Amino acid sequence: MTAPEDKDAKALSSLIPRTIGPWLSEADEVFDAETIFDYINGSGEVYRSYNMRLVLARRFHKDGKPDIVVDLFDMGSSEDAFGVFTHDLDGEDAKIGQGSTYKGGLLSFWKDRYFGSVYAEEETPETKGLVLELGRQIAAAIPREGSKPSLLSALPPEGLDAKLVRFFHNHLVLNYHFFVADTNILLLDQTTDAVLALYGGPKDGARLLLVDYGDTAKAGAARDSFSGAYMPESPEKGIVRTEDGKWAAVRTAGSVVAVVFDAGSETQAAAVLDEAAAAWMKGRSPK
Amino acid sequence: MRRSSITRRDFLKVASAAPLAGAFIPALKAGTPAAPDEKVRVVLVRDPSPLGPGGAPPAEVVQKMLDDAVCALLGEKDAVRAWKSIIRPEDVVGIKTNAWRYIPTTVEVEQAIKRRVMDAGVAEDNIAIDDRGVLRNPVFQRATALVNARPFRTHHWSGVGSLIKNYIMFVPSPPAYHGDTCADLATLWNLPMVKGKTRLNVLVMFTPLFHGVGPHHYSKEYTWEYKGLIVSRDPVAADVTGLRVLQAKRREHFGDDRPFQMTPHHVFLADTRHHLGVSDINKIELVKLGWPDGALI
Repeated sequence: MTAPEDKDAKALSSLIPRTIGPWLSEADEVFDAETIFDYINGSGEVYRSYNMRLVLARRFHKDGKPDIVVDLFDMGSSEDAFGVFTHDLDGEDAKIGQGSTYKGGLLSFWKDRYFGSVYAEEETPETKGLVLELGRQIAAAIPREGSKPSLLSALPPEGLDAKLVRFFHNHLVLNYHFFVADTNILLLDQTTDAVLALYGGPKDGARLLLVDYGDTAKAGAARDSFSGAYMPESPEKGIVRTEDGKWAAVRTAGSVVAVVFDAGSETQAAAVLDEAAAAWMKGRSPK
Repeated sequence: MRRSSITRRDFLKVASAAPLAGAFIPALKAGTPAAPDEKVRVVLVRDPSPLGPGGAPPAEVVQKMLDDAVCALLGEKDAVRAWKSIIRPEDVVGIKTNAWRYIPTTVEVEQAIKRRVMDAGVAEDNIAIDDRGVLRNPVFQRATALVNARPFRTHHWSGVGSLIKNYIMFVPSPPAYHGDTCADLATLWNLPMVKGKTRLNVLVMFTPLFHGVGPHHYSKEYTWEYKGLIVSRDPVAADVTGLRVLQAKRREHFGDDRPFQMTPHHVFLADTRHHLGVSDINKIELVKLGWPDGALI
């Protein structure tokens, strides 16, 4: 556990109120990327995969009532705060911070480089109100907003389900959202930025995956690795009709590899990739 | 082109984790069942008594559930005789529990086990109950026998919090076993403090967690009162049986065969890669005792 008097921990602490209604807070606990397993066990790997720096946990207690727990993460960058928020998008929009969800006593939100979770150990009308109020107060105490990952700007807007866009780095998180393969055939790692987006319904829609490898050689190697494993019958062509009658296709655009899964037609697969590639390259060209 | 419901994504999964297919979709399993004498016995015992504030039935009910299960498992009529067949008076016994805040093993289960270990003739000084402190616990350090007891739940990184995984506290750095979503947790069972010492596995199914949310991977909304214990000498067979229950509950709740958030492949790899136990449900003899309503399997 990191000392709560650490400068960064103090900064986190200052963003969270000491009381909420008649609930009083207990002693803070602070964890970094190495010690987070002392606090939240295996889930710590998710936060580590988004390069977390610190989390401050503050528990609010009132005798005879459910505890409320605030976990406020300093993710180091707004992109990773956004990313870890997109890991679980289940719930209603609570309109807190730069993005939020609420379901079953759990509020999640992000703002600037911070990701916040506020959880009532039992949801009642009273605890729901306090959870949301805590979230609003914490978000208000964060002075700035942060930017989303630049890859999002390359997503074609037509048909995009904007509420289900995920940002992440490694293949384990990719598989969590959309299983591709047990092995890391896209050569993802902590230095790659990836966006997964849904076009159409979750059961029959197409998925667009964009991965920025930082340089064209790495992107080329990843494209070759993916097409060799996923479409061995036509790796050079980069497009294949899969066993369920849908289409998968892959393309590079500078440092980015774009892959579409489950497209309804060859034309749709090509069009989505064309548009994403053009949008990405346009964003990179000199102004 | 004939359309198939099995795509190359399924193949890329099944190719590296074939045992999963058999356990999760039994109808697709084409293999011949193993001969009866090769089967591993697993006992599921349930009781409809109300749960107390700690999430367990009353202590006397838990004792009876455990006794009935151990007798059925070991083919004995008397619980103390049954325990004496797996614990010797000279044993030093560590009861590896699980202290997770939201769903612990429960004191009732811990004490029911301890009582029968003492009935088997072990001195109280030679018995310890511990989770996170096992490496520093002097009884665990000299233990000759272990009883492994933990609640079953989904887990954000390993798929499920399993009996296999419960020995993670026998290493100083648990994250060292997190690679490939905890694929090789079974190697924990080769640690000197553990190897060959486990006499019984008790998977607590009073209020299992079948889906997780948030940093703590917990919401009461995704638990239910199953009120059961799964008991076996084989941790893999017990975990697979628990997985079948969770999978059935998820199917009932979500209305489809939703995959676990992370693959629980460590349970199957414990069999196919590490040979710790049996994961093939065709080679497991499931004995069901007690309350049948809502058993799901």
